[in-house]
Amino acid sequence: MSADAPKNDPGCARYTDDLAELALGVLTGRDRARALAHVDECPRCAEELEQLSRVADTVLQVAPEVEPPVGFESRLFERMGFTAESRPARRRLRALPPLRSIRPRQWVPAAVAAAAAFAALGFGLSTASTPPGIQANATTGTKTVLSGDFVQAGETVGHVVAVGGDRPWMSMMLEDSTARGVVHCVVVTRDGVTHEVGTFVAREGYGAWVAPLHLDPKDVQKAEVVTPDGAVIATATLS
Amino acid sequence: MAQGDLSDEALLAGMAVGEQPAAVTFVRRYQKRVFGLAYSMTGDAGVAEDVAQEAMIRVWRHAPVFDPRRGSVASWVLTITRNLAIDALRLRRAVPTDPDDFAATAAGSADYNPEESVRRGDIRHVVHAALDVLPDEQRRAVVLASVYGRTALEISEAEGIPLGTVKTRIRTALIRLRAAVEHAEGVSDER
Repeated sequence: MSADAPKNDPGCARYTDDLAELALGVLTGRDRARALAHVDECPRCAEELEQLSRVADTVLQVAPEVEPPVGFESRLFERMGFTAESRPARRRLRALPPLRSIRPRQWVPAAVAAAAAFAALGFGLSTASTPPGIQANATTGTKTVLSGDFVQAGETVGHVVAVGGDRPWMSMMLEDSTARGVVHCVVVTRDGVTHEVGTFVAREGYGAWVAPLHLDPKDVQKAEVVTPDGAVIATATLS
Repeated sequence: MAQGDLSDEALLAGMAVGEQPAAVTFVRRYQKRVFGLAYSMTGDAGVAEDVAQEAMIRVWRHAPVFDPRRGSVASWVLTITRNLAIDALRLRRAVPTDPDDFAATAAGSADYNPEESVRRGDIRHVVHAALDVLPDEQRRAVVLASVYGRTALEISEAEGIPLGTVKTRIRTALIRLRAAVEHAEGVSDER
């Protein structure tokens, strides 16, 4: 049905605007009652409403994905009354040293371990079993593992690790950087092309995130944390 | 099949019978979208976490009454989140983020690939692209209504615009978005 079909009928025309507002869920009171009564008796407007509603639903879905604050899951699962057994990987993560206190020289193993734990949780692996191969990847080098320090104005402010395999992923950590609020992490491949990895939230210069990497880590030359305006906050060269 | 390979509907079905692993997988699948929507609307990480947690708990509790005929799981979850965010903003008398900012930050989502998105039934990128090319006043009107739950009358009063103009902007914007989605789906079907 075309967008203008209902209003060709004088009976339908008066509800043209109402259908859009009904679809968006913002029509209220008597207007809403009248429009619903009309839709109930008019197959054309009912179909129009169904189509508009489907599109209206998608507007909410364009909201950006943002990594929740550290500890979000633990607090949520506690509120949901879950037993610890249902979230074994997260318990292991909580046993790690606080990220804020990790000194730069400790970042590589800590980031790899943290990322391994995160990866076991977030990317579709079974939650009921130990993630297959994750620990082996990090320690034996059977898959590509690249890393590098995030540098800002000559100072090391964080670390990045990229891990290959069937589902490549990347962990990033910033500490004492100038990053505030929403930041983007991008990687630049050896052919000079920039790829967005994800959008994250930094709090007072600190942030630790893991995201899937939709390319082979071997092709990644450097990673950057950038502001929504495109200003580069920190850069890491991976090797 | 691993838990993570299950569809949203299957995970909700598991949650409906109290399967904790299903809920854990569901939370991990949706937490960035739920928190992202709440954060986009409130601009406050603390409020957004409260909203996102409450949304997840409601999904867990109400999983048995989810009706797939009335829309997708994603729509349901995000609508719950939106309504909670609106409540939180009203309760705390907080200032919501500007609708123009909402539309702008939506561009930050990872793995932008419209064709792939349509192929797998995810039309987020198509809608985002369509929002991007709407005239500013139409985009603002439709975001205020769909995301912030503002009625045409509220938008009219807040923005100092005639009610009829607001209604027309909302309708025109929605129809343009629908045309973009239909076009994208048509292109996808031809393949």
